[in-house]
Amino acid sequence: MEIAKKILKVKVNGRPYELLIKPKTTLLQLLRNDFGLTGAKQACMDNSCGACTVIVDQMAVKACSVLALQVNGREVTTVEGLASRDGKLHPLQQAFLDHHAFQCGFCTPGKLMSAKAMLDEKPHPNEEEIRRDMEGNLCRCTGYTQYIDAIKAVAQKKEGSK
Amino acid sequence: MTEYSVVGKPLPRVDGIAKLTGQAKYTTDLVLPNMVYAKLLRSPHPHAKIVNIDISKAEKLPGVEAVITGKDTWGIRYGFVDTPTYPAEERPLAEDKVRFVGEAVAAVAAVDPDIAEDALDLIEVEYDPLPAVFDPEEAMKDGAPQIHGEITRTTSCAWEDWGVARKSHSYTPVNNVAGRVLISYGDIEKGFAEADHVREDRFWSPATSHMAMEPHTIVANYDPFTGKLDVWLNHMAYELKRYWLHKTLGIPIQKIRVHQTYIGGAFGGKAVIFDFEVLAGFLSRKVGRPVKIELTREEVFSSCRNSIRFDTTVKTGVKKDGTIVAQQVKVIVDAGAYKGSAAVAMFLSHQFSESCYNRRNVRHEGVAVYTNKNFGFAKRGHGAPQNRFAVDSQIDMICEDLGLDPVEVVLKNLRKKGDVLPNGDKLESYGLPKCVRLAADAIDWKQKRGKQRDKNRGVGIGINGMFSGSGYWPFACAAIVRLNHDGTVTLMEGDCEFGQGADTTYSQIAAEEIGLPLEDVNLISGDSELCPMNYSNFLSGGMFVGGGAVWYAAHDLRQRILKVGSELLKVKMEDLDMKNRSVFIKAKPEKSLTFGEILRYNVQKHLGDPLIGVGYKKAVPEIEFYPSLSKGTGRFTDAYGLAAATAEVEVDRETGRVKVLKICIADDCGYEINPASIYGQMVSQAVMGMGDALLEEVIDEGGRVINPNLVDYEIPRAFDVPEIVVLNGCDYEPKGPFGAKEAGECARAAVIPAIANAIYDAVGVRVHRVPITPEKLLNALKAKGGRR
Amino acid sequence: MKDFEYFPAKTVEEACSLISQHREEGKILAGGQSLITLLRQKLISPFYLIDIKGISDLDFIKFDEKKGLRMGALTTHRAIEKSPLIQEKYNVLSEMEKSVASVQTRNWGTIGGNLCSADPIGDPAPSLIALNAKLKIVSSRGERMIPLEEFFTDYFTTILEPDEILTEIQLPPLVARTGVVYMKFSTIEAGIKIVSTSISMILDSDKVTCRDARIVMSAVAPVPFNARKAGELLIGKKINDDLIAEAAQLASEETNPTSDVHASVEFRREIAKVLVRRAIKEAFEKAKKA
Repeated sequence: MEIAKKILKVKVNGRPYELLIKPKTTLLQLLRNDFGLTGAKQACMDNSCGACTVIVDQMAVKACSVLALQVNGREVTTVEGLASRDGKLHPLQQAFLDHHAFQCGFCTPGKLMSAKAMLDEKPHPNEEEIRRDMEGNLCRCTGYTQYIDAIKAVAQKKEGSK
Repeated sequence: MTEYSVVGKPLPRVDGIAKLTGQAKYTTDLVLPNMVYAKLLRSPHPHAKIVNIDISKAEKLPGVEAVITGKDTWGIRYGFVDTPTYPAEERPLAEDKVRFVGEAVAAVAAVDPDIAEDALDLIEVEYDPLPAVFDPEEAMKDGAPQIHGEITRTTSCAWEDWGVARKSHSYTPVNNVAGRVLISYGDIEKGFAEADHVREDRFWSPATSHMAMEPHTIVANYDPFTGKLDVWLNHMAYELKRYWLHKTLGIPIQKIRVHQTYIGGAFGGKAVIFDFEVLAGFLSRKVGRPVKIELTREEVFSSCRNSIRFDTTVKTGVKKDGTIVAQQVKVIVDAGAYKGSAAVAMFLSHQFSESCYNRRNVRHEGVAVYTNKNFGFAKRGHGAPQNRFAVDSQIDMICEDLGLDPVEVVLKNLRKKGDVLPNGDKLESYGLPKCVRLAADAIDWKQKRGKQRDKNRGVGIGINGMFSGSGYWPFACAAIVRLNHDGTVTLMEGDCEFGQGADTTYSQIAAEEIGLPLEDVNLISGDSELCPMNYSNFLSGGMFVGGGAVWYAAHDLRQRILKVGSELLKVKMEDLDMKNRSVFIKAKPEKSLTFGEILRYNVQKHLGDPLIGVGYKKAVPEIEFYPSLSKGTGRFTDAYGLAAATAEVEVDRETGRVKVLKICIADDCGYEINPASIYGQMVSQAVMGMGDALLEEVIDEGGRVINPNLVDYEIPRAFDVPEIVVLNGCDYEPKGPFGAKEAGECARAAVIPAIANAIYDAVGVRVHRVPITPEKLLNALKAKGGRR
Repeated sequence: MKDFEYFPAKTVEEACSLISQHREEGKILAGGQSLITLLRQKLISPFYLIDIKGISDLDFIKFDEKKGLRMGALTTHRAIEKSPLIQEKYNVLSEMEKSVASVQTRNWGTIGGNLCSADPIGDPAPSLIALNAKLKIVSSRGERMIPLEEFFTDYFTTILEPDEILTEIQLPPLVARTGVVYMKFSTIEAGIKIVSTSISMILDSDKVTCRDARIVMSAVAPVPFNARKAGELLIGKKINDDLIAEAAQLASEETNPTSDVHASVEFRREIAKVLVRRAIKEAFEKAKKA
């Protein structure tokens, strides 16, 4: 059957876009295929791994399980939108670098976006809160410890700098 | 102790910016112009004849470029093991029959993945189911369904290609036996006779998944005009993939290029050639377009290689004081439908064990058996995790029997520095005794062992040894380091970066040797056309062999630079040193030359002779072609990485749920080129080992994997991670770059028995099958009522 | 995924009209945290998807001292988790929501979508049943109220007609000396639930005698259910450890679990007994303090 494409108006990493897409397009497919933003990754088929985590209107969501048309009129931030355009890393990216918080890096964009959403909402979480809020991001390489340390470092730094 | 500027420092990873900004390209991210997508149709039967495959409807679906079956790929063979006696038996598509649920029977290439999937639904396969067998002991009985008939070949075998002039012959498995090992030395019966105490116990380890975050993927692009095949794929050393793509597709090896990509984790599961990889090349050549095949997570769980299923019976004889006088290990490996690396794993489980204890009289016997299930390959330790779970659990039991302390008994039986193993490997570096003491102290062994049972808490210990590379075609890693016009260097080495940190640590090695800061090393890695030669990372030979090659190349360049420096400064080369982009006289550091000055002088005096360093390293320089894996003779590796792990657990007696409170890993990797990287490897293995001990199992029923997803196959998440302490038990390895040797695979196998033994200490029951799930433990608790 | 037509509804009436047109061939999409996965795995292939996530009228949390709590079906899990009102008045729901899937799922997934997916191991259902939740269901034919306890009929099946939409969840106000607990058992912290239970206990003024008890079991039957016999055992009696153990035993006997890759029937029954015992005890302590 011939399915009508629908118009999607969405802001991605601060810029507005308008495009025609098939309704079945997920937000992950939109970002990876239509925008070429391949930071968000697919590592599972059951909404479990979190490697596709991006931010929609300040909320961390798994892009594989959100229909692209549902972000109509909303703002999407991906890992490609974290650093400044002139090459300055976001504090979380810097902390991940300093703390060796990644190895293969496949889950890392998702982790960064989960962490950003968490710290934007709650700037000084304790370790237990960090671990709980990062439950949705699976990692096989790091054993989690170093990136928990990285997030802690950013959380504490925000506290320190008044 | 030499003070280094670059190695030994936890410098930030060189692949960091790419990975943290989303720029890093993995194979899954790759889109080539005109690319098509292929999907595989897989068998729903564990054992069946293929009567007919009708692809006509699928071919007609708009958007479908090609549909192929075994008729198209008939006769193509590959495998990890391809020797004169054991010909390769794997094939990209099933031919006359299928041997496991999930075996590929057809492939479709289409303009988008959804159309390819729709086309699969239109392929009609007529199967004639055959009796299937799922248990290795059943499979070995007379009258069991025979999974393989005569295994023949139509091409030369890998060994012949690689220079061993021995004709290969066909092989017909008898009683579904895929391979055997029998390694023995000393006199096992005499050993048992002399023992004061003997016990025999049986342990099982199931298949587990590597669960690397990136699903297996390939992009293949065949150019009909040049006959060249460009591939981007998940791997752990490109030489193996290149060789097998050449062999299966008949493309000259120099025309196959493996391009650099980042790889989303491997842990052993991506080293071998896969059906879909051969098919991607085959299809690209057929349709004249690039082909991408990306497996789903379900396919990775159920049709890619998982870890090897071991059924281990250990019989150990000790003296009253716990000294081991004899050990007999009998292994039955449930190989699955093809042999994979089953026989290799059986050998390795012995050889790794040799680096741990001096067992005096040894008999290690193994049989790998075909069954109608998916088959296996290496996973981080390749036989050691299975073996250590058995052997270290039993040592714990022996200590219980004799009222001895496990840490004391472990220490008593360890090898010694300088020991020469029965196969000729020499333990020139050996930090295991130190590792054991560090790990025991860090868990408060003396204060806790046997003393927290009222709280249902306990501690346990495990150990392991791991090779640092071994011989495998093409037997050497090579590297090139070029001094650039601006005084920086370009390092060309073929290793791939799959998370282990090779890009960074190799750059550190080159930088240190040439006296440069890390940022002055421009790295070209993982590309078979731009890099000289690399084979070793999946054999634990990343640092020792690959990194060693980098060191030799950097050292060669260093000598060339120093030669020019010695001419200019008019001193002998040995009076010079290099640091911070300059060459200086050791006794008079103010007399120095920058690299820029060296280069200018070189142009003036030597007509601009390039300063390029070349180096290579072999895993075991004097090795004969291959050690005999079935008999365990012949040199195997030049250095062993070693680790000891201790764990503390708390058990909920009413539910069997185990909470891991703390894991301590003390590791001897020779020297920590990048301590933060080493720390990451150890934490990773602590968590992975915890997953093995308590959670993970690929479960099959009637040959079908019934938990091929992340909901039903659980791996530890952020909140499950206990306190992890990592300790440096390094013992300088003189043959390794800056003393470094293996680090990424050893500790996992030590963590598993550490947790199993801690559970026993806590509640007095032992489960002989990992994973020790709450249900298994609760049943054991009810059956035995706890200890004492 | 298979292709489908997509209709974003702006009002409940519009949604009802659309779903009554398409019925079995259509599906309501809220947060999609269950639905999208089913679509991606090709377990269902509706021709029409009616997106109701944009109906702001269905996204609310309201409380009245006499009437109790009303939550719109499109209230996200995260909103329930973070709501100061719910943390104050129905804290068990906020605590329960903390452990639902992951933050990402909670940000986009809705309570209504969760209940309609009728996952036998869903987190919200047990405590909502323990709290005597009622559901408001509308269609173009009218509306009806139904106790949540009667909503689920089988695995992944509810009493919803193909043209009906869940719009609201209502909870009565809690009386004094009520303790409500949600407890679950999984091998790892955020792992799949093998058994879960929610207990609601109301004590008499002597803070020992049980006036009412609801013991709701989940993951041990095709649907979450109220273990009545076990609950009735407690009513009118002074709560003590022996009685709690007896009730737990009864609750375990009322279960009808299956075996799967995570646990066998026997293990689920055994865990049910232990879990219910611990949960009743905790509910009792909470009720004493409430």
